[in-house]
Amino acid sequence: MTSTPSDRGFPADGLHPDCPDLSKLGPNRAEALLRAHAARVEYDAEQRDKKWSKGFTRRRLLAGAGWAGVAAFGSQLVTTRVAYGEPSADAKTVVIVFLRGGMDGMSVLVPGADPYLKELRPNILVPESALLPMARGFGLHPALAPLHDLWKSGKFSAVPALSTPDVSRSHFQAQDCLERGGAATTSITTGWLDRVLAELGPGTTFRAIAESSTLPRALVGGEGAISLRGIESFALTGVDTMHEQTAKALRTLYTGFEHPLATQAASTLGALATAGEINDQEYEPAAEYPDNEFSRGLSDIARLIKSNAGLRVACVDIGGWDMHTGLGTIDNGDMLRMLTVLGSSLAAFAKDLGSALDRTTLVAMTEFGRRLEENASGGLDHGHGSVALLMGGGLKGGSIAGTWDGLAPEVRDHGDVPGSNDVRNLLGELVSKRLGITTAGLSKIFPDHAYKPLGALA
Amino acid sequence: VYEDHQSLRGHYPDDVDEPSEKPVGRRKLIASLMGGGLGAAALGAAVFMDESVSGQATAGAARELPEGPGEHVPAGPPPSSGAPAKREPAGAPVRPKDAGAFDDRDVSYVRGEGKPAKQPPKLPGGGTSGETESEIRVPAVPDSAEQAVDTADLDGTATSVRSVMGESASLLDWSPVAHLLRRFSFGPTPEMVDEVRRSGMTRWFLRQLTPHRVDDAEADRVWRAYPSADMSIAQIRAAYKAGDQTAMREYSQAVLGRQLWSNRQVFEVVVDLFANHLNMSMPSERSWDSGNSYHNDVIRKHALGTFREMLQDAMRHPAMLRYLSNDLSHKDSVNENLGRELLELHTIGVNGGYTETDVRNSAYILTGRTVDKNGEFYFDPKRHWTGEVKVLDFADANDNAENGLDVGDRYLDYLATHPATATMVARKLAVRFVSDDPAPSLVDRLAKTYLATGTSVVAMLAVLVCSPEFWVAVGTKTRRPLENVTAAVRTLGVKPGGDPAKGVVRIYDTLAKVGHRPLNWQPPNGYPDVAGAWASAGSMLQIWNLHRTLVRGTWPDLVHVAPDKLHGDGVPASADAYIDTLCARLLHQRFTAAHHGALREFLGDHAGSGADALTMAGHLAALVLDSPYFALR
Repeated sequence: MTSTPSDRGFPADGLHPDCPDLSKLGPNRAEALLRAHAARVEYDAEQRDKKWSKGFTRRRLLAGAGWAGVAAFGSQLVTTRVAYGEPSADAKTVVIVFLRGGMDGMSVLVPGADPYLKELRPNILVPESALLPMARGFGLHPALAPLHDLWKSGKFSAVPALSTPDVSRSHFQAQDCLERGGAATTSITTGWLDRVLAELGPGTTFRAIAESSTLPRALVGGEGAISLRGIESFALTGVDTMHEQTAKALRTLYTGFEHPLATQAASTLGALATAGEINDQEYEPAAEYPDNEFSRGLSDIARLIKSNAGLRVACVDIGGWDMHTGLGTIDNGDMLRMLTVLGSSLAAFAKDLGSALDRTTLVAMTEFGRRLEENASGGLDHGHGSVALLMGGGLKGGSIAGTWDGLAPEVRDHGDVPGSNDVRNLLGELVSKRLGITTAGLSKIFPDHAYKPLGALA
Repeated sequence: VYEDHQSLRGHYPDDVDEPSEKPVGRRKLIASLMGGGLGAAALGAAVFMDESVSGQATAGAARELPEGPGEHVPAGPPPSSGAPAKREPAGAPVRPKDAGAFDDRDVSYVRGEGKPAKQPPKLPGGGTSGETESEIRVPAVPDSAEQAVDTADLDGTATSVRSVMGESASLLDWSPVAHLLRRFSFGPTPEMVDEVRRSGMTRWFLRQLTPHRVDDAEADRVWRAYPSADMSIAQIRAAYKAGDQTAMREYSQAVLGRQLWSNRQVFEVVVDLFANHLNMSMPSERSWDSGNSYHNDVIRKHALGTFREMLQDAMRHPAMLRYLSNDLSHKDSVNENLGRELLELHTIGVNGGYTETDVRNSAYILTGRTVDKNGEFYFDPKRHWTGEVKVLDFADANDNAENGLDVGDRYLDYLATHPATATMVARKLAVRFVSDDPAPSLVDRLAKTYLATGTSVVAMLAVLVCSPEFWVAVGTKTRRPLENVTAAVRTLGVKPGGDPAKGVVRIYDTLAKVGHRPLNWQPPNGYPDVAGAWASAGSMLQIWNLHRTLVRGTWPDLVHVAPDKLHGDGVPASADAYIDTLCARLLHQRFTAAHHGALREFLGDHAGSGADALTMAGHLAALVLDSPYFALR
C-alpha cells in the first residue's frame, strides 16, 4: 500500500474549509488528499485581502474574528472545575517571593575570596571582612543579618548561579519564562503555579493567593487563584442588608454562558464566605513588621497560614532590584536599602509565623542576575545567573546546594555568572518535597524538562 | 493602607536620585571572547585598554588596537577576566527568537506557540444564519491617509457583515453603534450613542479623527483645573522643587479627566494606546520636570500623526532619555537600557531578529542623547561613541561624533519603517480595538497600510474600522479595570463638579486598588492589553464595590444622577419594564431571560410594581454594571 498523505503529516481534517468535496478531486482518497493539499498551498499563497473579499460565511467570519484568543484563555478556565475541599491543619504552604528587576546575586550571597570579583567591582564589592559566613566560601551581605540567625538554626539558605533557560537578558522575557515555568520554547499559556494547583487537585477557595492587585503570571490559568491586597479588603461593600441577595444575583448573572469571566465570578463569590469568617476573627500579628508594602503582603500571608484556611501557594512581589546605577556599598546605596527592607521583612514574617514556619517554605527569586563588572554609574547592567533565597521548614540546614564553579573566565556565561543551576530543578524540588507533587506531575508543570533535584531541601 | 504599592514594584527604569556622572573604572579590561575557531587561544589573549577606543568585537582575529587616551597596562590578576568593552556573546549570536520567545508579553496569554487556534467558546445569543456565501468589501491597502479616510465606509461594512453574520456570536447584541463606541471610547454615553445614530458611524468617526473640530469645553474646564498640565519643562522647573512629582500626578489626573469627559474619545483612546506603547511612567522621580511635556509634545502631538515622528521625538525627549537611563550613557560606559527597549518594545520586537550585538550597537548609536542642566534635550558629541555601527541592515561609519545625532535619526527612521515595526504597531492596534488574538489577515492589512502611508496612524484606524474582522468581533474583548471604571462613570452620567480636581482625584486614587491608574505602569512595556493578564477574583470584587460607590454618588465634587432618575422621570409601568429600561439605559441592550430573572428575584417583595422596584434603583443599577454584559467590551 502506498503511503497516504496523512501518513506524511497531512491530516485529512486539515483540509481548507473551502475545499470542495474530496471525491471531485481525485480518483481515490489518497490522491484527492494530495491534490487537496496542493490546492491548499496555492490558496494560502493568495493575498489575504483577496481571500476576504468574497465567499464569506458566518463560520469564516467568526474564525477571523479573534474568538480564538478568548477561547484559548477561556478553555483553560472552563475545562477546570473549581472545586473546593476541606483545609487540613498540617498542610504545607509554599511562598514565592519575586524580586522583580533582576537582583544581583553577587551582592547577596558573596563568594568572598573570589579574586575576579574584586577586580571587576572596585567600588561596589561587599568586602570579605563584612560578610556573614555561611558555607562553601559564601558569605551573606551584612544587611541580611536577621536572616543569618535563621541560617544558624537551619531555617535559611540560598542557591547560587541559578537561572531560567531564557537567554534574552530582557526583564520581560526572563520574568515571563520564569513565571510560565518553561523553556522559552514551551507553548504553555498558564503559569507554573497554576499547573501546581492543577496537580494538587481540589483545595479550599483560599488555596492560592497573590498579594497584588492583579494575578502574577505564575498563577494565571484555570485554577482560580485569588489576588488581593489584604484579606480585610476582600468583602462586598455597599450592599447594605442585601448581601445574600446580591451574591445570589451575581451568581446567576455569571451563569448560563461559557467565558473566563464566569469562572472568575465563581471564584470571587466562593471566596467571599471564607474571607468573611477570617475577617470576623480578632487578629494581631505576632511580630512587628517594618512599614512597607512587601511586609503588608507577608503579614497577610502569615495570617492566612495561621488561620488554617488551606493556603498552599502564596505569591508576593518586591521590586526595586534593577540597579543600573548607584548600587552602593555596605554603608549606603540602593542595595543596602533594598536588602534592609528584604531582610527585616522576611525576619518579621518568620517570627510572626512562629511554629507555623516549619510548615511554610519561602523561596525568593529573581528573573536574572547582573553583570559581574560594575558600570560607570556605579551599577550593574543585565547579566545571567542569580541567587535564590530559601527560608522556613524542610531545608537542608547549614548547607548551600547547587553547582558553583567559581567565576573564572571559562566558567562565565558571556562574561557573567553562569546559570549552572536550572531554576526549575529548585522549584520542582520545592513543590515535590513540600506539596507532594509527583514526578509525573512535575513533567506537566515543567514540560520538556528533565527534573534533577538540587538537594536544597531535606 | 496600600497607597504606596507601586513604590516597591517594577522599578526597571533607574528611578533614583540624580546620579553621579563621573565615570568610574575608566580603564576597562577587554578580553577577546571569540567564538568558533579561535577558542581557548583567543580566550587567553586579553589586553587592557580604554573602553572608549575599543573596536568592533566581531568574531575573528584579535583586532589591532588603536592607541587611545588610556595607556595599555599589563594584565594583573585575574589574567583574562571576561568583561569586554564590546560584548560579543561567545559562539553563534543568540536571538531570543531562536529560543522560541513569544512575540510579546500579550501574545503569551492567548496563544501557545505553534498551537492551532481553538474553537470559539459557546455563548448564548448565537443564532445561526445559513452558510450561504456573501460578498463583503475589504479595504484595499491605501496609498495615503487621505485615501484611507476618503474611502472609509463604516456603515456599509457593518451592514454587509451583518448580512452574513445574522445574530451576534456574543453575549452582547449585534449593535454596530454600541460596538464602535465600546471599542473607540472610554465607555458609551447615552448622548454619544444618540449622536452616532443621528450622524451615521462613518461621519462620526471621521470627525473624531480631526479632534480639533470637536468641541470639548467641559473636558477643557477639567484640564484647566490642573495648571501644571500644560507646563513646559522650564515652567515646571520654575514652579516646583527639584524632584517634586506633583506635576506628574496632576497630569495623570488631568488625563483621566479627559478620558472621562472628553468628546474627543477616539483621540483619547489612541493617545492611551501610544502612551503605553512608548511608556514613560507617571509619576517617576527622574523625569519629574519633563513627564508632562513628554505626554503632550510626543504622545498627544503625534497620536493621530505618524509613528515615525512620534518615535523620533520620543528618542530626543528628556523624559524618555531619563526614564531609560540614556542620559547617563557615555562612550566610556554605555548604558544599554534604552538601546535594548527601543528594539524589543518600541519597534521591531523581541522576535525582530536582533542579537545582543545589535543591542550593543543600538546603545552606541544613542550615546550623546542626554539632558542639559536646564532639563532640556541636548546632544553631546563628547559622549557619543564613534566607530562603525551596525544593527540588522542599518550600518553607518559613524566616524564623526558631531554627526552622531544624524546617525541616530537615520537609525530611528530605519527602525520606524521596518516591516517588523509595522507588524508590531499594527498588532497593538488590532489587540486594542479588535481582539486579544487578532486575525493575521487584519494585522497584515494594517501593517501594509502603515508601510504604504508613511506610518500613518489615521490610515491604520480608517482601514481597521472598515475591516470585517472589526465588526465581527463584538464582545471579544474584556474591559480592563480602568476601562470598566471610566465606562461606569460615563454611562451613569457622573459629571465634574465645581472643583473638578477634587472629584477626579477620588477616582484616580481608587484605581490604585485595581492596579490600573492611567500612565502609571512602571516598566517600559505598558499595561497589558489582554483579558488574561487582568483576570483576578480580587480585582473583580473591587470593581463590583466601585460600581456601588459610583452609583451611590457619595464622592464630593462629582455631579451624580440619582439612581432612581437613571431611567428618566416618572414611574415605570412594572418591575419587569423597569429592569428592561435600566438595562437599555446603562448597556444599550437587554439581558437574557435568565439574567432578567436574576434581577427580578433580587427584587423579591419589591417586584410587585414599578414604583416598588424603583426603591431598589441603586442596587439594580449596580448589578447591571456588575453583569458580564458590562464587563465585556
